[in-house]
Amino acid sequence: MVDIIPMDRELQSYLRDESRSSGTADSISFPRDEGEIVAVLRHLRAVGGDAPAAVTVQGARTGLAAGAVPAGGHVMNLSRMNRYLGLRIDDDGTYCLRVQPGVVLSELRRHLKNKTLPSQGWAPEDHAALERMYAGPERFFPTDPTETSACLGGMAACNASGARSFRYGPMRAHVRGLRVVLADGDTVSLRRGEVRAQGRRLRLTTESGRTYDLALPTYYIPHAKNASGYFIDDDMDAIDLFIGSDGTLGVISELELTLSEVPAVTWGVSCFFSTETDACAATVAIRAGIADVVAIEYFDAGALDILRHQRTAGTAFSTLPMLDDAWSCSVYVELACDCRDHALADLAHLGELLVAHGGSLDDTWVARTDADRETLRFFRHAVPESVNMLIDERRRTDPAITKLGSDMSVPDDRLLDVMDLYRTTLAEAGLQSAAWGHIGDNHLHVNVLPRSMEEYAAGKRLFARWAVEVVRMGGAVSAEHGVGKLKRDFLTTMYGEAHIREMAALKRQLDPYCQLGQGNLFDVRLAKEGDRA
Amino acid sequence: MNIVVCVKAVPSTTEVKMDPKTNTIVRDGRASVVNPFDATALEIALQIKDERTVAGFPTTVIVLSMGIPATQELLRDCIARGADRALLLTDRAFAGADTLATTYALACGLRELGTVDLVLCGKMAVDGDTAQIGPELAGSLEASCITDVRSLVRIDDASVAAWHATDEGTELIETDLPAVLTVSKDVAQLRMPSIAGVFSAERATCETCSAAEVATDPSRIGLAGSPTQVVRSFVPERAASAQVIEGTMDEQAARVAALIEEAVR
Repeated sequence: MVDIIPMDRELQSYLRDESRSSGTADSISFPRDEGEIVAVLRHLRAVGGDAPAAVTVQGARTGLAAGAVPAGGHVMNLSRMNRYLGLRIDDDGTYCLRVQPGVVLSELRRHLKNKTLPSQGWAPEDHAALERMYAGPERFFPTDPTETSACLGGMAACNASGARSFRYGPMRAHVRGLRVVLADGDTVSLRRGEVRAQGRRLRLTTESGRTYDLALPTYYIPHAKNASGYFIDDDMDAIDLFIGSDGTLGVISELELTLSEVPAVTWGVSCFFSTETDACAATVAIRAGIADVVAIEYFDAGALDILRHQRTAGTAFSTLPMLDDAWSCSVYVELACDCRDHALADLAHLGELLVAHGGSLDDTWVARTDADRETLRFFRHAVPESVNMLIDERRRTDPAITKLGSDMSVPDDRLLDVMDLYRTTLAEAGLQSAAWGHIGDNHLHVNVLPRSMEEYAAGKRLFARWAVEVVRMGGAVSAEHGVGKLKRDFLTTMYGEAHIREMAALKRQLDPYCQLGQGNLFDVRLAKEGDRA
Repeated sequence: MNIVVCVKAVPSTTEVKMDPKTNTIVRDGRASVVNPFDATALEIALQIKDERTVAGFPTTVIVLSMGIPATQELLRDCIARGADRALLLTDRAFAGADTLATTYALACGLRELGTVDLVLCGKMAVDGDTAQIGPELAGSLEASCITDVRSLVRIDDASVAAWHATDEGTELIETDLPAVLTVSKDVAQLRMPSIAGVFSAERATCETCSAAEVATDPSRIGLAGSPTQVVRSFVPERAASAQVIEGTMDEQAARVAALIEEAVR
């Protein structure tokens, strides 16, 4: 039996995550396999009687919505479940890699690139599949959140995305199988395509033979990038219910990931513009006009100004490339092609589109080498880091100040509207901001950088207003970070209270004591009361 | 002003692997890159060109390399970043050259390029680490040499002044042109090409010359012209080992304490 360790001062870091929020817990465990997850959950249920302890599941604690911050009870940290379990070739020729949930993305990438996947203990057929994969073209796992120390289980729990989700879709698209431990310790094994709902009814059979007849909520998810609440659709695949459920329906104990072939040629192009209007118009033209684009990212004037400041302030960012003062904002376009000639043709087309929309062939950086790609990656990642440094400076005078970062998306045809909303309302409120993110998916992280607690409060009011407007545009209040504990109110704005109650009722069917992920998606009282309230 | 930047193609990986049987670098097909020190030298040259161009002084930057034909692609990339011309010395006869034979070939290449006011080199190459090419080239050209330049102070048609690193610190050197400067890696970061630069390079011709075309003395190039003889090369054996200590926090602490006690006994 895995140890259930009382919380003490040495373990305080497990009460926090990257959202910079902090919670409380009585105990913590570090299971190493599914059996230990089951044992912990059964133990907690056995000793807890009618009020078993809440269980907050953690991976690498890199989430930004406080999904891994405990709300009392027990912390189940899966970071030690980091083994690679096997590989198979699916009927469609796809390589499917089974991993434990604590495998870290950067490690997975390194092993795939260097062909060093730890395969001790694998079955002979898994070894054969591995040999075959190594003999062929290089493979990679496409989901690319900025934080590469994220673990795969956490990425599935919040349906993580990244820059390349423009082409490859979010995490959901690359999970072919899941094993899930339910709150009572029973297990479910799901493979994509095998268990589907009938309309909005889903029959789910556990490995012990128990069958749940689940009533799925009646809402419709938006036609926009979305990580807000449970994925629900008519005739949906059962696996999609657990992906993006923020650790509220079960504990993911194993994932089967599909691997993709590394494109022969990958070029990144940073394009600089003097106005945001031109940058947005170019974005719309690029995503419609060039098929090989895998990512379109944006950095606004506020973001570039902060980078300029950090670059000259003698920080670690002093090695960033020089930004011309005439450049107001930047659109990063990544091309993935099957040969160099196609990449050149795409680059020429991109150049034409830039020139047609106020850009210039000279005001671009083209990364075709590893060193240049690394420079552009450093540049893109330096933006949020620089903003954090700026906020840290401000916290010296007022420790309560934190940045406010949005994660909202809208459908393609509302990009210009949402940009106008951000600009108009930020100017009205007189708030400093920096925006960056996945403009190809109409999904920007607009960060309000408060200089005082008054501005912080004004920023929060603004976000609430944006949530209403974005929902009105048919968008989502969280596109990739998940809802966690920080965006619950926005989720209510998005779906309305009646649908939140349906979500809570669904949760209660699988987790009657509402132990898992307490406080994520909806208030625990609502989860326990459900549709009776 | 004509500025020549000498560049070398080196393995792209920083994790160079040695073949334990042959004790040579494993060239596993990974793409080559411009030696990072030479990339910095190119950026310095381009910055000089930018400043002089704005001031109305015509300046040309030429990249020069000795290497296999595939090096042309790297030189073309240098053009994409702003170099005006590229010359590659490529011939089987150049193979096996040490720094002296390489310097001789490069000096012949420089002669082929006509009047040269300034030669810029990386301080050293990441695969050889000799730091000999720049000073040897200066000797061969009978030009002044400033090694390990940390910052360029001034350059005009007749002279150059630069801070360079010494064992004790830094020193300001001023000398007449022509001169050879070698630069440290972190002095500047090579700019990225623009879309315009990429297509300009696609249209450009990378000039190539064989050993005979640069009128070299066959006895001074390649293996024949290399007095350096490698008697033996080997990979140092590593004796370090690691062990994982498991158990409760107290058990782990006790085990660490015991290990320290054993080590200091």
